[in-house]
Amino acid sequence: MDFFQEEEEEEHPEQKGCCAFLTIKYYQPYFNVSEDDVIDRVKASFLPFRKDFHERVAGNPDLWGPLWISATIIFLITAVANINQMNLEGQTTYSVAYVPQSAALLYCISFGTPVILTLVMKILGSDIRFFHTLCLYGYSMSILMPITILCVIRNSILQWCLVGYGMISSSSFLIMGMRKILGDLEQSKRYIIIGIVLAMQFSLYLLYKLVFFKVIEKNSTE
Amino acid sequence: MDYTNQKNPQNYSQMEDLKTLDLEESVSETIMRDLKMIAYKLKYVLIPKEQEDNGKELRNWDLWGPLIFCLALAMTLSFKADSTTNSSKSDVFAIIFVLIWVGAFVVTLNAQLLGGKVSFFQSVCLLGYCVFPINIEAIIIAFVGSYLPFVVKLIPVIICFAWSAYSSVGFMASLVPPHKKKLAVYPVFLFYLFLSWFSLIV
Repeated sequence: MDFFQEEEEEEHPEQKGCCAFLTIKYYQPYFNVSEDDVIDRVKASFLPFRKDFHERVAGNPDLWGPLWISATIIFLITAVANINQMNLEGQTTYSVAYVPQSAALLYCISFGTPVILTLVMKILGSDIRFFHTLCLYGYSMSILMPITILCVIRNSILQWCLVGYGMISSSSFLIMGMRKILGDLEQSKRYIIIGIVLAMQFSLYLLYKLVFFKVIEKNSTE
Repeated sequence: MDYTNQKNPQNYSQMEDLKTLDLEESVSETIMRDLKMIAYKLKYVLIPKEQEDNGKELRNWDLWGPLIFCLALAMTLSFKADSTTNSSKSDVFAIIFVLIWVGAFVVTLNAQLLGGKVSFFQSVCLLGYCVFPINIEAIIIAFVGSYLPFVVKLIPVIICFAWSAYSSVGFMASLVPPHKKKLAVYPVFLFYLFLSWFSLIV
């Protein structure tokens, strides 16, 4: 099934009008999912090379997932990074600045990149649907949840491996999701888009590792 | 003025008729009346047995209560900020303040987007009042936290978090269609979890 399945214009009459996007009704069609749908979609996003995600979403992208997956990750980053800051003597200085930093990072990438991509692809003449891209990006973040929980383990090599895996997994997920749209483009333009996607994912994961999980080289355990 | 009438919800509308007398009363009377109203609402929200009329009392929403609890929490947590965090007191205060209001706003927006027909401020009011148990746990940990091991600190945190979440979940779940209940309730959990985490570590 095609992820970017065309929707009928008549399905969303509340989206007409120049300022419609400022109303709640404009976004309500994108919250037509149940809890089981969301869990299935999250599970499907862990396996980038299978078609499960696209089958489940086709025609019904949702915004609940992107919004609350990122919020959950913000909480997990704050909690795990603070746990990492604990040293065994119990005298620790925590950092609450992780909250605005992680919020800025995650929401800019998961909501900002689809905006950029949609603009670029519309300029290149492709027929991309904004909310589908937003949904795709939001669910691509879900791999960060298990990665963040596993980063409790304070081992530099392990953390870099996890971050690398996350980057490869989410990038493949995004590119597989956009495969049909990319197929319609010319070869050279395709590489521009893939380049943008990879660059944003790379910067996300690099910043994620360097800002939140600076490894403490010396533990005072002696 | 007869304050004993405040216990009875039906008499709340009678209070409206007495508004014209506000300018004639002393400041302390006005403040006491507002405080009693907040205390009444707090008991109503946090003690489930009081809710015999299925939440109708919440239609008289106010934001004074949420503001007081938000300020109290932000001040409690910023009190010891210099020694436990490497952010300044004002940073901690600002982050908690913004977190509470933006969090309440987003959770309410989420309920509305899922199809819930609720007045925006009613929901923000409820979420704000349910921050009160988090306040209690923050104060406990601020004063005795340094003498207790981490695991013992977890006990009041978990109890108060469960109390907050339980109080607000009933209302939020009733707003949306049945197959979307967990989608409306999960953000509430996340919101109070966030606040509980901060009261634990700061």
